[in-house]
Amino acid sequence: MNYGRELLKGNTDSLLLCLISREPTYGYKVVKELEQRSNGYFRFKEGTLYPALHRLEREGLIEGRWQILANGQQRRYYYITEKGKEVLAARLATWQDFSTAVKAVMQAETV
Amino acid sequence: MIDNTSHYLNRFKASLKIDQLIKDGVADELYGHLEDKVRELEEEGLSREEAYKVAIQSLGSPEMVAQQVYETHAQGSWREAVFSALPHFLVALLFTSYYWQSAIALSITLVLTVGIAIYGWQRGKPIWLFPWLGYYIMPVVVTGIMLLNLPQGWGWIAALIYIPLALYALIHIMKQTARRDWLYASLMLAPMPVIFSWFLSIGTGSEFLTSDVWMARLQSKAPWVVMSFIALAAGTIAFIRLKPRKYKIMSLLIPPLCILLGVTWVGRGSIEPWGWVILLFSLCAFAVPVWMQARPQN
Repeated sequence: MNYGRELLKGNTDSLLLCLISREPTYGYKVVKELEQRSNGYFRFKEGTLYPALHRLEREGLIEGRWQILANGQQRRYYYITEKGKEVLAARLATWQDFSTAVKAVMQAETV
Repeated sequence: MIDNTSHYLNRFKASLKIDQLIKDGVADELYGHLEDKVRELEEEGLSREEAYKVAIQSLGSPEMVAQQVYETHAQGSWREAVFSALPHFLVALLFTSYYWQSAIALSITLVLTVGIAIYGWQRGKPIWLFPWLGYYIMPVVVTGIMLLNLPQGWGWIAALIYIPLALYALIHIMKQTARRDWLYASLMLAPMPVIFSWFLSIGTGSEFLTSDVWMARLQSKAPWVVMSFIALAAGTIAFIRLKPRKYKIMSLLIPPLCILLGVTWVGRGSIEPWGWVILLFSLCAFAVPVWMQARPQN
């Protein structure tokens, strides 16, 4: 099992919530943002993003709304909900504690 | 190039058995994604043909995406699961005492079933509606069986007229249901083999329904009837709550098939030849939708 892929899988929801909390966004832009912000580290089959977005929407953490662009193209923008903001805040706090603890244990080994 | 996109989206839609509105919505999102990706790749210097090829590859297999979308949307909430199982629990409740012989209890159950079925139909056919619909159509089938007990000669004439009409109605409802998902048709028809197996293994010929002997026999089996409907309810809850489709199919098939086999095996001496025909029909009506969904999609 690829360790990096497992880590990504376990944190997909938090990463998506984090990006959507910054500004309402749509599927393709999420892929680009993830790729750019991680310097190409996060690469995955792009179609799998949509089940993840829909799962978050079903959980009430984000909300999708269709918008028609000036060129007539339709896009579904995702907005974070109040519940999503609360969940993200809790996850960020947990992540902060976790990464601090991991660093403290592993730093000596990685130097 | 456009054909490639259409082909991809058609494969995606063919693999996805969920509400048409959700399916179209995700397909539109994938279409928009492909358009954005192709535009960007063209700006990077790829030909239109190459851009489409790369864009489609980057999305991943349409079957895989469809499966993940299905697992996201296929799991109903606990509330939906309990509401779906409620008609089976209601029938079980009728047999916990002599309620099933009480006209008032039966009337309340009937009005409740019809009312909830109409309410669900008007609310866009949510998943919990289908088990209720199964009981809603049951009187149609039971009336047909009762016609067989009319005086000599009349029964068959009535049945010859009635059966095609009832079959037409049943097939029409099944087709409407299966448009969304074949499994929902089986979910709807799951009580049918159970009810028929009890119905036919206890009564013989003219004893049907009106006879005190028949009713006494059914009452003596009441604990088993209760257990069989609780098993049906448990299967329904599992069907709503499970995510992978193969587990859904198993939870849908196993309880009715086990009940049908068990009840008919014990009561096989009481079942008349036409009873076996009806049992076979109910089994086919229940299992055919599952077989239809299992067929390879073109």
